[in-house]
Amino acid sequence: MSNEILMPKLSDTMEEGKIIRWLKHPGDTIHRGEPIAEVETDKADMVLESFDDGVLDQIKLKEGESAPVGAVIAMMRAGGETGKPAAQAEAATQEPKPKAAERKSEPIPIRPKAKPEAPKAPAPPPPSADLSAESGEQIHPAMSSRRSAAPTAIPMPPRVSAVASAPVEVSADGHKFKASPLARRAAEEAGIDLESVHGTGPEGRITKRDVDNFLREQQLFRFRRIVSPREGAPGSHEELSKMRKTIANRMATSKREIPHFYVTVEIDMAEAVKLKTSLSEAELVEEDVTYNDIIVKAVALALGRYPRINASFENDGITIHPNINIGVAVAVEDGLVVPVIRQCEQLSLIEIAQIAHRLVAKAGRGGFTSDELSGATFTISNMGMLGIEHFAAVIVPPQAAILAASAIKDRPVVRNGVLAVGKTMMATLSCDHRIIDGVVAGRFLQEFKRFLENPASLLL
Amino acid sequence: MANSRYDLVVIGSGPGGYVAAIRASQLKMKVAVVERDRPGGVCLNWGCIPSKALLNSAETMETVRGAAKEHGIEVGEVRFDFQKVIARSRATADKLSRGVRFLLKKNNIDLYEANAAVAGPNTVALQAVEGKPAPAAQALEAERILVASGSSEKLFPGMRLGDGVMTSKEALVHDTLPASVAIIGAGAIGLEFGYFYQAFGAKVTIIELEKQMLPGFDAEVAEELRRAFVKRGVTVMLGHGYKSMARHDGTWAVTVDAAGTEKTVEAEAVLVAVGRAPLSSELGLEAAGVELERGGFVKVDDSFRTTCPSIYAIGDVIRPPLLAHKASAEGIAAVEIMAGVREPGFDLLSIAGCIYCEPEVATVGLSEAEARSRGIDVKIGKIPFRAIGKAVAIGHPDGFVKLVVSKEYSEVIGCQIIGNHATDLISEVVLGKTLETTTAELGRTVHPHPTMSEAIMEAALAAEGEAINY
Repeated sequence: MSNEILMPKLSDTMEEGKIIRWLKHPGDTIHRGEPIAEVETDKADMVLESFDDGVLDQIKLKEGESAPVGAVIAMMRAGGETGKPAAQAEAATQEPKPKAAERKSEPIPIRPKAKPEAPKAPAPPPPSADLSAESGEQIHPAMSSRRSAAPTAIPMPPRVSAVASAPVEVSADGHKFKASPLARRAAEEAGIDLESVHGTGPEGRITKRDVDNFLREQQLFRFRRIVSPREGAPGSHEELSKMRKTIANRMATSKREIPHFYVTVEIDMAEAVKLKTSLSEAELVEEDVTYNDIIVKAVALALGRYPRINASFENDGITIHPNINIGVAVAVEDGLVVPVIRQCEQLSLIEIAQIAHRLVAKAGRGGFTSDELSGATFTISNMGMLGIEHFAAVIVPPQAAILAASAIKDRPVVRNGVLAVGKTMMATLSCDHRIIDGVVAGRFLQEFKRFLENPASLLL
Repeated sequence: MANSRYDLVVIGSGPGGYVAAIRASQLKMKVAVVERDRPGGVCLNWGCIPSKALLNSAETMETVRGAAKEHGIEVGEVRFDFQKVIARSRATADKLSRGVRFLLKKNNIDLYEANAAVAGPNTVALQAVEGKPAPAAQALEAERILVASGSSEKLFPGMRLGDGVMTSKEALVHDTLPASVAIIGAGAIGLEFGYFYQAFGAKVTIIELEKQMLPGFDAEVAEELRRAFVKRGVTVMLGHGYKSMARHDGTWAVTVDAAGTEKTVEAEAVLVAVGRAPLSSELGLEAAGVELERGGFVKVDDSFRTTCPSIYAIGDVIRPPLLAHKASAEGIAAVEIMAGVREPGFDLLSIAGCIYCEPEVATVGLSEAEARSRGIDVKIGKIPFRAIGKAVAIGHPDGFVKLVVSKEYSEVIGCQIIGNHATDLISEVVLGKTLETTTAELGRTVHPHPTMSEAIMEAALAAEGEAINY
């Protein structure tokens, strides 16, 4: 039986998608929920997950090619095949004829399928009695074929399990790894291959926590993995992605047309740190309030007092916006997205946190609505998590300014004439000189600083 | 003495500090330890070790006085020299304290016997301790400082020691047996001393504010223990809060309160065992930017780093449980994280808690109630020791093993044992938890017969409804 894998609609506005990379290849066993390809859409790069168990049969859309939503991009073969070792299955699928026989629409095969081919197939790694004797531990064949070939590897329900399940397993490339019984069991139930899990226990042993972390990364925070800048091969030429093209155009326009000037202030964050800590320790609210949320709230309050910063240079005039819509730059692979928190003037700190976290999670998964990515009247770029000392950001046209927040660091401060260790943050406002002059920029930053240094006001 | 610049200066030489220092030395750090009292800290000098010596005397007393009859062994009149009982305990502490001094020397660690104060992120100032020679340096420069200052006995406000009012520290050297003792607090320390004094014939009353002994422990264990104490003749007053005490005619009248009704307990001596407080206030920590949390505990992150990046802290001074082996494990973890040979993080749920009265109590991980309150679906495997041949043969059929197992993966998430040698049995389950064992492994590990440890195997099987002997 064959199933079609279609180009999914990974965001509301997505019309077509491009395959960046196939993570699975014909003949690979696929489990439900496992990533099979990376797909580039108009908004972000996403991972396509399988909705079913089976074996990837045929790839119809090559890497680098695009197809509209709903087009067939690959074929998958269902269940039945899992009875034989993967290595054998793999070999079989590399033979075009026998594989075709499994599709209903194809004529009856002229020669008997697979079987005569089997001897030629690379034998699955032997159970290697020599190895196990050497290490004193039982060793199983490759993980990929483990489920079918070595049913005792993972303790299933306690009563049927072989207790002496191998503490060391050997993956396909002969790499040894250890895993706890609990980790094995959790991995088995989640349908993931322990081989891909990074172990943090003694000597790299895989623990339950490692499996949990792996699952979380896979399912919830996939953007983290994607965030790492795409590696470019030295000497290669790379076509611009849609996102890179947009960034290139807008940033060049900004620097060409907007006369930027920059104002920096150092802010004592000791109180803000305490606020964040006490909010998370009190556990009164479900949401974990981040520094970014605190900064958004302080900016919103300061903008309320200096509406001229919350403005646009349009049609040779200056529009002062009625609402404060704050865009927050979030890094994704090959670029960034700027989800917008709307009408911040009406939101409490907790509400801002809730909205921000939902949006940041979406940056990894995709599925932004167009409202969520447009209409910002002010933007914040926060590189605090990267430990950045100080930086200046480029204004997003037609906005009047952008705030660059850096890391909160231990720096010497003078309190009541005594040198002490303080927690401070550098914040730099990039301004459009056509709209804002130095005094307004300075006052706005002073106000912003005042809110952060007296953060009780953020809770009012 | 050597150059006063160090990679690591450890404040405190208790089971947290001296173990951390040795591990740091193994990891090629140049290490100094500052100690104001005697090497080994409370554990060796005023806690675990001398109290276990006393409890061993108590057990011996019980065997001779009580159990001998059952065995058909006749002894004459049993007499004891209480001063010798205490002296033996002190000798044990001295011996082990000398051992720590030797271990530090062997590992090329400089020991400064002085009062320490943190004078900056990288400076520890030393001051002479009364009655001891001035330290070889006035200040030590340290790339990192590890605070392992431990904890001290808590008292009620306004309460004064002396005239028979003691904490565990005074009780350890109190070499006359009081005719009667009122013990405030039914935690580990209160119960151990209660058992000890009772075994030597004192009239013991235990007063506890909470509704069970060992507050926070599994309720079944607490109840089993209460029955054992009452059976021995100890008066146990649960749900009674301490109000005040007054002295007349050489005895103390301790006023306690239960839901508005006041009662008075008369006793020659009063042992206050209401917990311990972290020793964090006298070290000048806050000036260096080290934040404290509620209760005076030093705030640390996953890497045992305080809010001052060059200062670390471990043991009693950072968080409960206040246990020697927790402090040692944290000390090793902190130093290994500093050296970059270990990932941050520490699993407090794999720290066993042990109480050494008879019957002993040992627990690790979550209790049934704790697991349920965390929303974990659990199954329980419980085996009474009377189902275990060895327990019956040695005359200790009381108590049980209770295993708390997750329904999801049959993971062993907790274990409570009450019974003879419970504290020696628990390590198997601790190992199991460290290895993330499920009942499949624990139940199918062949345990030698006849041993007490068979109860753990049976409990694992019982959790799956497959116990053989029960």
